[in-house]
Amino acid sequence: MSTKEQRERIELLQGTLDLLILRTLLRGPVHGHAIAKAIEFNSDEVLQVEQGSLYPALHRLIKRGCISSEDGTSENNRRAKFYKLTAAGRRRLTIETSKWDKLAGAIARILRPAEQEGKS
Amino acid sequence: MKRREQMMKDLEQDIRDHIDTETQDNIARGMSPEDAHYAAIRKFGNVTRVKEDTHEVWSFVWLEQLMQDLRYAVRTLTHSPGFAAIAIITLALGIGANTAIFSFIDGILLRSLPVQEPQQLVVFTWSAHARPKLKGHSGYGDCQNLVGDCAFSIPFFKNVRAHTDTFSGMAAFAGPLDYDLSGNGPARMAQGQFVSGDFFSTLGVNTIVGRPLGMSDDSPSAPPAIVLSYACWQRAFGGDRTVVGRMVRLNSISTVIVGVAEPSFTNLTPGNPVDFFMPFSVADRIRSEYWGHGDRISDPGVWWSVIIGRLKPGVSLAQAQAAATTMFVNETTHGATPLLNEADAPAIKLLPAAQGLDGETSQVAPMFYLLMFAVGLILLIACANVAGLMLARSATRQREMAVRLALGAGRARIVRQLLTESVLLSFVGGTLGIFLSLWGINAITALFSSGYDAFPFVIALDWRVLLFTAGVTFAVGILFGLAPALRGARIDLTPGLKETASSLPDSGAHSGRWFRLGNALVVAQVALSMVVLIGAGLLVRTLRNLHNLNPGFDTRSILLFGVNPSAAGYSDQKTAQLYSDLQQRLAALPGVISASYSADALLSGNHSSENVHLDGAPPKSNVSVEWLAVGLDFFSTMRIPMLAGRTFTPADFASAAATNAAVTAAADAPAKVTRSYGPTSVNPSEAPAAPLPVIINEAFAREFFPNQDPVGKHVGNFQEDEPATGLQPGYLIIGITGNTKYNSLRVEIEPTMYLPQVGNSAHFELRTAVDPTALIPVVREVVSRVDNNLPLFNVRTQTEQIEQMLFLDRLMSQISSAFALLALVLACIGLYGLLSYEVTRRTREIGIRMALGAKTGDVLRAVIAQGIALAVVGVTIGVAIALGVTRFLGSLLYNVKAGDPLTFVGVALLLVAVAALACYIPALRAARVDPMVALRYE
Repeated sequence: MSTKEQRERIELLQGTLDLLILRTLLRGPVHGHAIAKAIEFNSDEVLQVEQGSLYPALHRLIKRGCISSEDGTSENNRRAKFYKLTAAGRRRLTIETSKWDKLAGAIARILRPAEQEGKS
Repeated sequence: MKRREQMMKDLEQDIRDHIDTETQDNIARGMSPEDAHYAAIRKFGNVTRVKEDTHEVWSFVWLEQLMQDLRYAVRTLTHSPGFAAIAIITLALGIGANTAIFSFIDGILLRSLPVQEPQQLVVFTWSAHARPKLKGHSGYGDCQNLVGDCAFSIPFFKNVRAHTDTFSGMAAFAGPLDYDLSGNGPARMAQGQFVSGDFFSTLGVNTIVGRPLGMSDDSPSAPPAIVLSYACWQRAFGGDRTVVGRMVRLNSISTVIVGVAEPSFTNLTPGNPVDFFMPFSVADRIRSEYWGHGDRISDPGVWWSVIIGRLKPGVSLAQAQAAATTMFVNETTHGATPLLNEADAPAIKLLPAAQGLDGETSQVAPMFYLLMFAVGLILLIACANVAGLMLARSATRQREMAVRLALGAGRARIVRQLLTESVLLSFVGGTLGIFLSLWGINAITALFSSGYDAFPFVIALDWRVLLFTAGVTFAVGILFGLAPALRGARIDLTPGLKETASSLPDSGAHSGRWFRLGNALVVAQVALSMVVLIGAGLLVRTLRNLHNLNPGFDTRSILLFGVNPSAAGYSDQKTAQLYSDLQQRLAALPGVISASYSADALLSGNHSSENVHLDGAPPKSNVSVEWLAVGLDFFSTMRIPMLAGRTFTPADFASAAATNAAVTAAADAPAKVTRSYGPTSVNPSEAPAAPLPVIINEAFAREFFPNQDPVGKHVGNFQEDEPATGLQPGYLIIGITGNTKYNSLRVEIEPTMYLPQVGNSAHFELRTAVDPTALIPVVREVVSRVDNNLPLFNVRTQTEQIEQMLFLDRLMSQISSAFALLALVLACIGLYGLLSYEVTRRTREIGIRMALGAKTGDVLRAVIAQGIALAVVGVTIGVAIALGVTRFLGSLLYNVKAGDPLTFVGVALLLVAVAALACYIPALRAARVDPMVALRYE
């Protein structure tokens, strides 16, 4: 995999990062560093998360009650804080995902009207 | 809290773990351990920022940041104490002066009446096309500035009160008048006001001891009762609560004190201090000396009382006015003796009481508007000053901003911190301003009070004005405090860090703009202070002119005092005897050169005038002349030169007394007098009364007897529309004196007629060889030896009397000079600040110049020239503004034109000179720059 250069980094909105974190945690508890890596990996390196902004986002989600944290051990036997999705977080994820789908679809329709027509 | 602390502690650890893990990954990817670590750190981002942002998630971070900002602001300000001190003081002065003056003016001009629900009260005024044929008319200064008059008769008042349903209450009052109050220590003169029985209840004024006057007191059979005013109670009765029920004597009539009014009620009309209130019903027993035998209570032809009504809720002004007009028309045209014709369109106009009763304020109003304008200018200057200071400071902090931005501070954060700094500055300045305004109000009140026996107004801090001025200065402080932030947040960091502060201006168009703004502010300050200075200069010259003018008599070493024998029960004849007796005794005192008396002292603010008919003029055309009754030796005592004819002799006094007696007798027995028509005014069938001997002044001679010798000529009594009844002896001119000022210093000398004084109260004038005040105890003794019950009042010297007249002029001169000084100081501070900053900014440049051969003299000259250039521009603009504005001083000036060139030029030179001085210190600093140090100056 090639590493993208700094110039092409697409800035993520604060709310979007929250959404991605919640999604990443859907499969189970993950620790901070792994979340960052997961987002990068699952987006084919398009989304380079500024790792520093991860932590305020995580704390925000904790404050809102969407995720919870506990200490654990990571893969390489290091101590790490693991973040877990709560029931409220799960609900929030569903809501935010559908909102995002609607948004994305609307923008796509505006940007690619010809393609739509062509298809139909 | 606990949770947050825990989370933050863990965060440290989490971040470290994160970076370690990333490092491990990087090593796994093949980087060297060092590179892996650096890469991990770079990837992570700004650790401090992350910690701050996370911290923000958890806390009321704004409060913490505020505390941080405040602490930092305090530290920064204490590091530049000069700037902070000047900014704070300027703010305080601007806010304090403004609030003090506006509160003071508010208390006097805009005061609401000290009664309940003042907005419901209306005052009655009347107007007509012709003058009603009245038996008597008196005004006591209640409604000076009105078109129309507010004096009415008592029967009319009672009529309106009985027949109206538009008012929920009515009240009438008249006065104040002088009365002799005795029975409480030495006899003294007091000011009494007549009020109707329902006065206190309608207005809603209470008493703090005793009871107010009521309807039962306002009847002819009720025993005379009075209510004291609070001030009089404190001053004359020592606040003694046992006054209630005490008996005193008013003009020798036994009266009981029934109560003391509450402290806030001084009078309905602003400025007329009242010592006690008495019901109208006692007016026939306790008479003023000027009423003669007239009946003031039941005669509809004597108009002398002010009528106040309280509108019923729901009744409009127009309704009440229409109803009142109908009654007025009825009364004046269809009464027993018609006073007006319907064609004269008599009408009543109702005015809101606060507006209609302007009293004393009409005299001081123009001065206050002037003060308001001046103080507004000072506020502007103060704001410009603060703005300039802030701007200058901002320029010197560019480097600091650049460094902070480079270290990772958010721009918003910096802006907020700078904002906190200027808010803190404004806040401290504002608090100081509040204290200053409180002190200012006390100081101004004290200044004004010294001109009155009892200051008739109550002044309190006006919070609206405080908020307004504070708001304005805060806004300015904050706006200009943001300048460095708004500017600094936009700088390109690298040049900001690399270059030294002194060369920054070259790199940006920004600083050029800011510098020009700074210049403009200083020029504005100088211009505005020029206006204030010129105004003050004109007023100071006015005062000097008034002081130095020759009033026509010798004002030095004259002792004045007044006596009121009729108040002590003297008849006219006994009064004449008393006066001549007193005059002889006083003239015989050692230290007294001569003594005389007159009905009013010259330049005491009291005067009389009379209408006379000139022989040969068309019938019924009268002229109004000034009129003064005087005693023997008056002209020689006052050192007024006699220009022609002779002065009064004792025979003249006897003749005058006889004439007066004959006229009075004829007037009292109208059946005996047959009517006479035409200009010959003496009825031949009666014993002829000799014309009164009079002396006229030069103005009279020049105006009415041009090219003739007036001595020996006759002047007739005034002719009304109806044929004259009674004796009309007229006047015989026996001499001409030089012009003297009589009523006021400012007014041109008018034609004046002097006659021999017979009866009434008098003021004695003693020409002394020694200091007049030294003779006061002796004089008192002489008077009390003649009659112990005769009160002396108003003892003062002529010089003091004139000073008293000039009191307001002097006050205006003092206050405007103080403002001018303040404006000058502020403008100089502004100039000094700007130039200091300039020198600092260009230190390197100056160093280079000096290294290249410029001498200290050159540098000095350059800086001062810059300052003077700014000052001159400001002065020119200021002169232009002043020329347009000083015309509004108009009536306040005396013998000085609004565009007086001497004042303008003088003030301009003064301002430029002071400005040059203000430039001197920064110039000195510039000249002392050591080139080697300057070149290295960072």
